[in-house]
Amino acid sequence: MISTRAPLARACAAGVLALGLSGCGGETTTAPGGAASATGAPTSSSGSSGDAAAPAGAKVSANTASEEEITAALGRAGVSNPGRWAEEVVEYRPYPADDPNLTKLRDNLAKYNPGQETTDKIVSALTS
Amino acid sequence: MLTPPASAAPVLVRRGLIALTGIGGLATAFELATERHWNGLEQLIPWLALVVLAAAIALVPVRRGRAVAVARVLALLVLGASAYGVVDHILVNYNSGVLDQRYAETWDRLPLAHRWWLAVTKSVGPAPTLAPGVLGQSALLLLLATFLGDRPSR
Repeated sequence: MISTRAPLARACAAGVLALGLSGCGGETTTAPGGAASATGAPTSSSGSSGDAAAPAGAKVSANTASEEEITAALGRAGVSNPGRWAEEVVEYRPYPADDPNLTKLRDNLAKYNPGQETTDKIVSALTS
Repeated sequence: MLTPPASAAPVLVRRGLIALTGIGGLATAFELATERHWNGLEQLIPWLALVVLAAAIALVPVRRGRAVAVARVLALLVLGASAYGVVDHILVNYNSGVLDQRYAETWDRLPLAHRWWLAVTKSVGPAPTLAPGVLGQSALLLLLATFLGDRPSR
């Protein structure tokens, strides 16, 4: 004899069927990016000098600067929503030290479809 | 064609459901690894859920004491984690709308329902909304397996 408990078993089966039919949208948007170089701002900082009073163009470290410092640096670079972008920069740490173009960061930012100009602005404010 | 006796069918189905649960878990682990889904504590939740699911799978064949009951509770925990994941992915996408170059200037002025639709359909944001549902599906398969007998019926 099959030892099923009909109501719960039917509920499980219905759930499985519903999930199976709905499928899984596991696609990841990959916007183009990564080719442009991040130039235009002199490297004057390696990590902890990213306060709002820092000179325009001063870079902060994507690996070691605080979220506030990155927010300030992105704000100076003219990035809109600098606080939200700073969160993303911190989230995807660490970045390879031997990649001055911050390719890993560019790849991750591309998932948000920020556009090439915004990506370049973000990278221009940071060093690895 | 070789067909199993009808009495063996529940055992086959049960083993099949457990195997499908295991396959689903392995596939989820592979997907999480390729996505490098370990940035921060919240992204570790599905990994924890996979460990719980593995423990539940190990308990189901143990037909003694409360093993099956514990396995069901663990499967329900995974189901909850899965539901949380779906909601969280939608929220992540919603909060990313303002970062998308197509909506950066207009996001706050879009109708609320349209914003949520864009988030649910992953038209904005990076998170696949239904991907965590695979864990829930695996948990449901295992839960179903616990209601089938482990011996051929007579």
